[in-house]
Amino acid sequence: MTSALTLDRVQGIVTHVAGPDRIPSAAGPDTPLQDGGFWLDSASLVEVIIACEAEFDVVFDPETDFTDQALSTVRTLYGVIQAKRAR
Amino acid sequence: MRSLGDLTAAWEARPRSYSRAVWALALGLDALPWPWGEEILARCFVARAFVRTARLRRALAWAGAQPGAGRRRWSLARSLCFHHGRFVARSALVGIRDPETLRRHVEARGEEHLAATGPRAILLGFHLGPAHSYLALRVLGHPLTWVGVRGASAAWSRAIRARYQDDRGDLLLPRAQSAWARRLYRARQILLEGGTVFISADGGGAEAFAIPLPGGPAPIGAGWLLLRRTTKATVLPVLSHMEGRVQVVTIHPPLPAPLSDPALDLEACRRALGELLGEHARRFPEQCYSLVFGLPPRRPGSP
Repeated sequence: MTSALTLDRVQGIVTHVAGPDRIPSAAGPDTPLQDGGFWLDSASLVEVIIACEAEFDVVFDPETDFTDQALSTVRTLYGVIQAKRAR
Repeated sequence: MRSLGDLTAAWEARPRSYSRAVWALALGLDALPWPWGEEILARCFVARAFVRTARLRRALAWAGAQPGAGRRRWSLARSLCFHHGRFVARSALVGIRDPETLRRHVEARGEEHLAATGPRAILLGFHLGPAHSYLALRVLGHPLTWVGVRGASAAWSRAIRARYQDDRGDLLLPRAQSAWARRLYRARQILLEGGTVFISADGGGAEAFAIPLPGGPAPIGAGWLLLRRTTKATVLPVLSHMEGRVQVVTIHPPLPAPLSDPALDLEACRRALGELLGEHARRFPEQCYSLVFGLPPRRPGSP
């Protein structure tokens, strides 16, 4: 079932994939997904993307959707999902 | 003979893992009839070990850790350096200019394992022998998508690139931070569509586990595990070694089917790969250069 898209839900997916060891103390929507934030490696990042697809019923185009900018924080990822759902 | 334009393009596409001197040598030796260039580069790597003695010390320390090395320590260390040079030459296909010559110098074993696999297969390579096993399999007629770096392929002749690289849909890695994520995601799509991908298991970046081998551990990355878990694709380990001047690529039986418990599944993969790589390292210790000299550094974000 498709969930309502909220920043909190996207962050929930990210924290679930990152696991307790990688969640920074002041994690928020603007925390970097990768280095210096949740420390997601590419495999974990793809895991987040797959989970978002299932949760929010979107299908990504890796070449256009997964830019460095789009995958930089929870908020930017949320923005990509929002844009996909608006189409 | 290469044109000046081809040579310039190849020079500018030097892989980061190759020093300028080695890359210049590989490109320069390509003008010689095969296999002279390969032989000279292999001997240069032996000579280099005696100049850069740190490499020689590492090779000797590794050779000393091999079971029953004893007095063979020096010859094993020399052979390791020789093979490293030969593999560098073979990666760049030094002196091999036409597809037919390449075809004569590759051989596959265990193809029946791939034939018995349904759609969705992950061919899992390792840096424990000559590189570009995916190219060898492609030359032998196996359709697959390569997920990885361009490597030394900029040095390949136009004819070989035209037949075996161009328009094959390979997921080559640009330098962007998110490149690996894009490529992994696309590889997953290809698998879900029933395709076959070839990806390396070992390297830097996110490490799922390490396999202890005589002389050093083999780090195993996390990307292929994600593909396996999310597509239920069959994983066939692929190892490669040289027999004389022929690169032999062996496709091994599939890893056990994925288990629902991720920890148990990881352990099952670790055990199966441990046995396989251990046997390979025992049979071809002199070809396992990456255990001694390390792997090329991966880009940020690589799995």
